[in-house]
This record gives sequence, structure tokens and C-alpha cells, in this order.
Amino acid sequence: MTDARVDLDSDKVGKDLVTLVLTVVELLRQLMERQAIRRIDQGDLTDEQTEEIGTTLMLLEQRMTELCEQHGVRPEDLNLDLGPLGTLLPRD
Amino acid sequence: MERAVVPWDGPEPLSGPIGVPLVDLLDRVLATGVVISGDLVIAIADVPLVRLSLHALLSSVSERVPAPWADGGPL
Repeated sequence: MTDARVDLDSDKVGKDLVTLVLTVVELLRQLMERQAIRRIDQGDLTDEQTEEIGTTLMLLEQRMTELCEQHGVRPEDLNLDLGPLGTLLPRD
Repeated sequence: MERAVVPWDGPEPLSGPIGVPLVDLLDRVLATGVVISGDLVIAIADVPLVRLSLHALLSSVSERVPAPWADGGPL
């Protein structure tokens, strides 16, 4: 599974850096998504707040997909294999 | 007790000994909350120059660990 690594190549270092940045952003996005679900499950948010969080997270996901398409990065490229630690993101 | 060896490399995609993606692991750690503390002294030629004392709380906002600002903070 070495092809899942972010391999910095001098010829396409620009694209690889974009992949690296998008990977970090995607990790944070998914983490925030999970935290939001926990928070909503706690039940201390108003319906309005829940709605707003849902919309924002949906827009974020759309934007991520757009960015990936723009830079020719496949969504699975953002998932790093951390060796014995497993993967960064869940496999779809 | 015999423990199965966790393979570092193999034809199958690795799932890791924990079997959980890192993002889910972080989610659970945040739900419990962690305190990171440490002391760091940067020295050159045995002369200590910079001291960094760290006490960081990393946690989800909940009833136990409320946000420090009631109104959402200076956003």
C-alpha cells in the first residue's frame, strides 16, 4: 500500500503539496463532523443551531469535492496508510 | 499469553491493531478529553535560553468542559 502515501516528487511537487494540505483539511473536516454529531446527540443545541451545523458541514463537503476535482485529486488519495496504526480516514 | 504478531507489510490493506481509522480514534479521545503537559528547554552550548512549559487541555465542548466564553467567544 505504498501508493497511498503522499510521495513528494520534484516534478509534481505542487500537486502533491495540494494533496497534503487537502488531506489535513479533510481530516479536520471529518473530525468536526463526528464531534458535531456527538454534540447534537447530547441534545443541548437548538433546532436552528443543528440545522446551521448540518448545512455548513454539507457545504464544506461539497467544497472539498470541488477542490479535489479542480486539482485532479481522487478522494481515496487523501487517505493515508499509517502502517501499524491503520488508516487516517475510514475506507468507503 | 501468546499474542498474534501484527504484520507491518502484506498484500492485504492494513487495518492496524486498533482496527479504527485515526479520525475515529481522535474523535473518541476528544470525547473523553486529554491533558497534554510537558516542559521544554532549548539550550545552546549548555546554556538554557528558552523555556516552554505546556499544559494543554484538548476536549470536546460539553457540560463537563464548557467553552470558556458563554457567547461563543471572540470570533
